[in-house]
Amino acid sequence: MSDDKLALSERKEIEMLLPWYVTGRLDAKDRARVEAYLARDPAMRRQLDLIREEQAEDIGANEVLGTAPAGALERLMASLPERRPGLAQRVAAGRLYEAVVDFFTAPTARGVRLAAIVAAVLVLVQAAVITTLIVRGDNAGAYQTASGQETGEGIPLLVTFTDEARAPAIAGLLRDLDATIVDGPKPGGLYKIRVRTADRSEAASLAVQRRLTDRRDVVKSVLPAKD
Amino acid sequence: MSPAANDRQLVERIAAQDQTALRALYARHQGRVFRFVARLVRQDAIAEELTNEVFLEVWRNAGTFEGKASASTWLLSIAHHRAVSVLRKRREESWNEEVAAEIADTDDDPEVVAQKVDKSALLRRAMEQLSPEHREIVDLVYYHEMSIAEVSEIVGIPENTVKTRMFYARKRLSEILKAAGVDRGWP
Repeated sequence: MSDDKLALSERKEIEMLLPWYVTGRLDAKDRARVEAYLARDPAMRRQLDLIREEQAEDIGANEVLGTAPAGALERLMASLPERRPGLAQRVAAGRLYEAVVDFFTAPTARGVRLAAIVAAVLVLVQAAVITTLIVRGDNAGAYQTASGQETGEGIPLLVTFTDEARAPAIAGLLRDLDATIVDGPKPGGLYKIRVRTADRSEAASLAVQRRLTDRRDVVKSVLPAKD
Repeated sequence: MSPAANDRQLVERIAAQDQTALRALYARHQGRVFRFVARLVRQDAIAEELTNEVFLEVWRNAGTFEGKASASTWLLSIAHHRAVSVLRKRREESWNEEVAAEIADTDDDPEVVAQKVDKSALLRRAMEQLSPEHREIVDLVYYHEMSIAEVSEIVGIPENTVKTRMFYARKRLSEILKAAGVDRGWP
């Protein structure tokens, strides 16, 4: 860049800073730059007069505007959103439903943080429970039929129920015999039941089969079964 | 306590939902905010509405005020964005009256001729003819006495742009005056 261009560039840079020099809002470094330039080029001082004129007119133009009209403050205060009590305060006041709805419909930064913490704790608890079940390796979490676990005790039988047999009647009969369905339905509509008894003799088995066949309204057929 | 520190304390109290603090901040700054937006939107009713919107936003977001800038810079920054959205909407709605008025103003009507005897009035009239962007920066520098960094924060433009915008605002002012028959000898 030639010396002339450099001089022009510096002059323009200084000119750009002059408004802030006049208002006293330049930092020390730029103020020193401007003052050094003004000392070298006193003609530039003419600009300071122009800027002071502009500032005086601008201040005048602003001051005639006055301020916000009377009553504006009261209108502002009346328009403020109602202060919402905290979640804990509302829960304490018995306004749980409102607190919960508000928590999800108008989440605050604090609310979101709280929700994130609760979610993280739930995930940890869930992980702990699953880990415990795996590590224990017992049958506590194993699959069981709704009718109970097959124990290998008592008398096992295969039963078919009549088409008319209703659930309450079947349940009543099984209860009377102290029996449980342990499997089924198998092909042919067969259910495996187990009658709880310590006597597993053939006579005992036949006696139970008789009691079942006597209930023709409920039982269609009975067969002995293996464990 | 300095005014800036006092303002920061007020904003902290507002963040804690203290309405008295909001009243105090309003009393201290509403004139500045009202004039700033009134000069841009040029309608008192809209300026009042925008002023209230600025303080309403302060009420809602006082907790986000970090105190890096002064409260007045923050207030004018909110006001700037509110006013700009009004001006932008106006521009979108129609070829606005403001532009039409500015064009009419370039003619030397009898009123203007009479005003030529009063250089001060002419200068003020020329300032009114600046674009909103130029009026805004002139007001921020001359009336609100904001530094380059503060203007940059309020208007959301780089500091170098602040300096060039102010320079061209002043240059435009001289051009308008020259067209009206007043040669200031600059630029």
